[in-house]
Amino acid sequence: MNHIVYMSRAVRPLSDQDLKELLDQCRRDNALHEVTGILFYSHGHIAQLIEGEPSIIDPLYEKIAADGRHSHVMQLANKPISARSFSDWSMAFHPLEAEGFKTLEGFFLPHQVPQTPETLTIADALIVDLVRQAVFGPQQDTLV
Amino acid sequence: MREQQLQTILQHMPAGIVTLLGPELRYGFVNEAMQALLGGHTPEGEPLAAHPGPLTADIREVMGQVYESGVSYVAKAFPLPLTEPETGQVVPRYFDLALEPLHDDHDQSLGLLVFAVDVTAQEEARQRAHTLSLETRRLDARLRVLTETAPQITFTMDAAGRYEYVSPQWYYFTGQPPTADLNAIWPLLIHPDDRLRVLYQSEVARTNGVGWTYEYRLRRHDGQYRWVLSRALPELHAPDKPVFWHGAVTEVHDQRELAEALRRGEEELRFLADSIPQLIWTASAAGFIDYYNQHTAEYSGLSPKELGPTGWVSLLEPAEQALAARRWVQSVATGQEYEGLCQMRRHDGQYRWHIIRARQLADARGLRWFGACTDVDDQYRLRQVLQTQYDELARTNRDLDTFVYTASHDLKQPLFNLRGLFDELRRTATFTDPEQGDLLQMVDQALGQLDGTLHELAATVQQQRELAAPTEQLDLRSVAEEVLLGLRAQVEEVQATIELDMGAAPTLLYGRANLRSVLHNLISNALKFAHPERAPLIVLRSSLSDSGQPLLTVQDNGLGMSLDTEIAAEAVPALHTFERQHPHVAGAGVGLYLVQRIIDSRGGHLVVNSTVGEGTTFSVQWFE
Repeated sequence: MNHIVYMSRAVRPLSDQDLKELLDQCRRDNALHEVTGILFYSHGHIAQLIEGEPSIIDPLYEKIAADGRHSHVMQLANKPISARSFSDWSMAFHPLEAEGFKTLEGFFLPHQVPQTPETLTIADALIVDLVRQAVFGPQQDTLV
Repeated sequence: MREQQLQTILQHMPAGIVTLLGPELRYGFVNEAMQALLGGHTPEGEPLAAHPGPLTADIREVMGQVYESGVSYVAKAFPLPLTEPETGQVVPRYFDLALEPLHDDHDQSLGLLVFAVDVTAQEEARQRAHTLSLETRRLDARLRVLTETAPQITFTMDAAGRYEYVSPQWYYFTGQPPTADLNAIWPLLIHPDDRLRVLYQSEVARTNGVGWTYEYRLRRHDGQYRWVLSRALPELHAPDKPVFWHGAVTEVHDQRELAEALRRGEEELRFLADSIPQLIWTASAAGFIDYYNQHTAEYSGLSPKELGPTGWVSLLEPAEQALAARRWVQSVATGQEYEGLCQMRRHDGQYRWHIIRARQLADARGLRWFGACTDVDDQYRLRQVLQTQYDELARTNRDLDTFVYTASHDLKQPLFNLRGLFDELRRTATFTDPEQGDLLQMVDQALGQLDGTLHELAATVQQQRELAAPTEQLDLRSVAEEVLLGLRAQVEEVQATIELDMGAAPTLLYGRANLRSVLHNLISNALKFAHPERAPLIVLRSSLSDSGQPLLTVQDNGLGMSLDTEIAAEAVPALHTFERQHPHVAGAGVGLYLVQRIIDSRGGHLVVNSTVGEGTTFSVQWFE
């Protein structure tokens, strides 16, 4: 079991429709291949963590990195983990029209994202906290 | 019959035919095509001049001349405006008009045979070709201008490696005359260190039929070697092998120098960072570490890849990790400096104390973090040892104070009892020896001194505890008056005059109890050592020293002390020994010791000047 974390920039801003399609498609595909994790999106900034068997997620990452919709793909981690920290695959972003999204499965508003799982090592949790901050900006509770 | 057939053929020929007869060129035979050409109105026997149709005057004049001279003529591509029968539009058409004189059997001029062939298509094609050739010439000229003004040398080389063309820039750059043999000279102008490589690479590329890109140093007209970039591509005529390579040579000297300087600068900084026995790292704006120096790998036993962008946190003592991670996230969010004292694991598993410090640098290239972890383990442990020793000393000191206080307190009761018993003895016993009166007085005196000493010892300990008291802005005059109030009995006893002169520096930032104690001891000291033959005069003066620090002098006209004036400044510490200057005067010397302690602890010092029989002056430098 491995996990991969990367950050990237969208080539053009993603619309609500783009995001919804991405959510639907990825949830379907990822569930099929037992890939779990979370994707953060805001103002063209993308960060994603995926967990799964290396034989699945390595080619998946190759495919993601080659996707023309984003650039500046920077891999931050690709390493073995003892167990999954995410039960499914979900996405967090700010839709322009929040109405249609509230009821969607696997969707969070950025401030509703659950705390970084305790099952991650502190170094890995730090990666997740930093990418979350890089995508969504500082969280209120970190600004003392 | 044949005549009739001929007539029909001529009538329907696609070329126009007309006969013009006589000097007036009267219409004769006109076939259909010519009829259309001439606008349809060609009444037989009428002169051409009366019904010219589209025929202009110039062609009609030429016709007349051909009739006169009897020499045929062909007007090539003669434009005739024709009206389209369907649309009624006038369009220009072009005809070759063959003008053939007609003769009778006796060679007499009969008229003209005019033969018109439509050559519009040919003419248009010719005109198009002409326009194209003009355009081609224009483009060619532009290309030439571009080629020869662009700031680079362009060239064409054939498969054998011979230069087919080189733009004039080559001559400007190299300073070679236009007569120079390009193929012989060019290789010689390449820097000797680059020559073989360039010739070889060029040869290999030509053999393989591919282009090339390489840099080398080319000698400029002033003799300097400048870095140039040579790029060329083969001109392909499939399936044959390429015949020509076209390319450009661009000067990249400055860019290359700059890049080289940057690379060297960066290399030197890396080397520096790698040579320092500290853990040095840099991080991106988002807080991910992208460089660890060599020492980090040596210290941790982990490669930069194994550490990863946040791996430093796993080197910390496990209990400190979560807090350090949280503080780092916070620093990245706010841009505030990161600073911490943490234990970091060495490759052998030992944790050593480090100061971690990271700062943000924002420049044209964006925002970055620079951090360093300094091993302070030895200092930290030394500090711990010192702290332990200090604590121990402080405790011992406290114990001593307590002991002195307790001892002086515990001795007071027996002394009190002793005095009571002694008084009782004096009241009830009778002394016959006359010297015994003096003896009794001496015992009294000794008891009084013992009492005073015990009292002062207790006061010393008490003061010791007040040394750390907070400071406040004090009015010297009012504090001095308070003290004098307490000493009223002694002042009255010796009829002393006390002058207070605090005008030059009326206030002082000091501990209140400390100041009172200093004034009390100095004044009571002056009162004790009063000269028996004159009324005591004590002057307290507050002023500012040359360096602007407050200064207090207490001057008396008393007995004075036997001090070597040269060591006056150092004399005061001698009071530590409780040395009694005047055995006949009540007092234990503890008072001055106390003053000394107070002033020292506040960062000042005490100077004494004294002349035996004339008086003593104490100068208190409150602060150094």
